[in-house]
Amino acid sequence: MLRASAQTTSTELDIQAVNGDAGSAAIGIEFGPELMRFAESVAHRSADLPKRRQELIEAAGPAILVDAAGVAANFQRMVRIADATGIPLDSKAATASRELRAELHLERFPTARYSLPAEVKMDA
Amino acid sequence: MTAFDYSAAPYAVRDDIGREHRAFWQRLAEPGSWWAGRERVAIARASRRAWDCRLCAARKAALSPNAVQGEHDDDGELPPVAVDAVHRIVTDQSRITRRYVEDNVTAGLSKPAYVELVGVVVAVVSIDEFHRALGLEPEPLPVPQPGEVNRYQPAMLREDIGFVPTVPPEGAVGNEADLWQPMRTANVVRALSLVPDALRDWRALASAQYLSFAGMQNFIKDEARSLSRMQMELVAARVSAVNECFY
Repeated sequence: MLRASAQTTSTELDIQAVNGDAGSAAIGIEFGPELMRFAESVAHRSADLPKRRQELIEAAGPAILVDAAGVAANFQRMVRIADATGIPLDSKAATASRELRAELHLERFPTARYSLPAEVKMDA
Repeated sequence: MTAFDYSAAPYAVRDDIGREHRAFWQRLAEPGSWWAGRERVAIARASRRAWDCRLCAARKAALSPNAVQGEHDDDGELPPVAVDAVHRIVTDQSRITRRYVEDNVTAGLSKPAYVELVGVVVAVVSIDEFHRALGLEPEPLPVPQPGEVNRYQPAMLREDIGFVPTVPPEGAVGNEADLWQPMRTANVVRALSLVPDALRDWRALASAQYLSFAGMQNFIKDEARSLSRMQMELVAARVSAVNECFY
């Protein structure tokens, strides 16, 4: 979705922002580093959350903070739905995201096991 | 007192967020398909306790969650198998396996009951996490409402993805016609469809906290949001990566 939105808006993007590289998050995304650090603080449930919240407010304002909190909280839910039910990647997405997954080394995640066998079968 | 009254919050919170949070809190208190209102609120309470559970912390640090035995921090309101499922979904979801879900069936937690439990847990997590992200106190849980469960199951189900039966893409018909446009769905949407109201809950909450299904087709910017789609997806992707979510 991140890459699709970058392509739709013809925006340069360094996808390594997904893996926590603040320099990458600064490319093409307004307030990218602040949003990235806030998101990871929420997901890690880190003690630095008040600091990250303040950093985002100062850079981008309270409306962006509230919307970012909504998105972060929403994806704290989505990962748990996907993992608790063991769903695999949709077959179209599995094919389309192969290069991206390799770039981000996503196959290191334990839940990759629910999607990769299907892909191997698809390739056979 | 009105639930989710954000008027005193230090930041202006969009009306639709408060509205959807209140609507879910009302549904949480009512009987569901497989759990009574009292049990649904107990599931919500267990979700909150899981974050500080000592057994969960020890399991999370272990090579395998099964290597550590013990008792969860729990108030005894739910069967142990349900408490364990709630705690794992909250604290160690990436190590839930098909075998775990199947063993739970043997221990008395049916797959429909498990799916409704997942739905309640994740909805409460998303609302509580929104509050925590903004530095707000968690909302007090609602008073459970009396009533019977309806044991509803969709007419069309298939076991082709994941650990539980789901409505197939062509199954959004009849009582399930509102779940998605004909043949336009994704596995993550189908995931909770064994209990259609659980899917309806996540869709309603997502429409306020993230985007509606229709809004997801806009890759530039939703006018009702302060974030561009790229900014939203950076937050979404980073949260998912930290949680080691392959999907």
